[in-house]
Amino acid sequence: MTEFDCQETKRHVHEFLQAELTEAEMDEITAHLANCDSCEADYDFETLFNDVIKRSCDEVPAQELSERILGKIRQTLAEGH
Amino acid sequence: MGATFSPSIGGGFMGGVSLKSSAMTSKKADPQAQKMREFEEQAMPLMPMMLAIAKRIVANSEDAEDLVQETYIKAFKSWHQFQQGSNLKAWLITILRNTSKNGFEKANRDKTRGSIDELEEWQVGTAESLTSRITRSAEAEALDNLPAETVLKALDALPEDFREVLLQAVVVGLSYKEIATATGVNPITVGTRLSRAKEALRVTLADYAREEGYSVPEDKE
Repeated sequence: MTEFDCQETKRHVHEFLQAELTEAEMDEITAHLANCDSCEADYDFETLFNDVIKRSCDEVPAQELSERILGKIRQTLAEGH
Repeated sequence: MGATFSPSIGGGFMGGVSLKSSAMTSKKADPQAQKMREFEEQAMPLMPMMLAIAKRIVANSEDAEDLVQETYIKAFKSWHQFQQGSNLKAWLITILRNTSKNGFEKANRDKTRGSIDELEEWQVGTAESLTSRITRSAEAEALDNLPAETVLKALDALPEDFREVLLQAVVVGLSYKEIATATGVNPITVGTRLSRAKEALRVTLADYAREEGYSVPEDKE
């Protein structure tokens, strides 16, 4: 099995976050992360990055909301507020 | 925030303004249309950001959308009070905050995610948000504060094959194997595309963040 030094650990970040590794490999990496600030920072960054991507995609309805708000305002105007 | 003016949330304050202008606007186009245009051009682009902020105040996204809608309607009603050239973002956040305090928060107290005061700290970047465990490198912080719209723009700029893999893996949560089946490439290629897509997205977003004034290091290899 792969020896998880820093290089290997960093190389596997996406597989780790997507849970594409075996349990034993995940454990190895977790153990490495516990003792390595540099790798941990990398993993934290990628985790945050994933969250940002997910969050942003959740906000696609913004477009629709925008239409709704403008519609309401036009309606208010038409009714002479 | 530095915004000392407080918008009159109650609205109904336009009497003086419209009287004055209607006296001299015989030839001018409808002032309401003008106001509408200004509002659309200036306030609407900030809406996704306001939505992101609202989502940090109320727990569910439906409430967040309602809060933003109410905020924008109030903002439109008191648009004449906004001083052109001053900080629109801060002005809108003030209205959002007041709207949330006046009833919105009360009605949703049990669902409230965090206090409004926390929001302010988050705004100035001192609060521990989801990045609490994270080394707050400038890049991470910039990334966390970029509006969704910007992230989506960067996603759209990726080659389609790469974007597809990224969205399926990160957003939908499919396995490499599932993505491979869906896209007709092998799982190893899926892995490669995912990491390339994230690298490319990271570079693009770092560029955007620099444009926004964050000091993100030019290159990190």
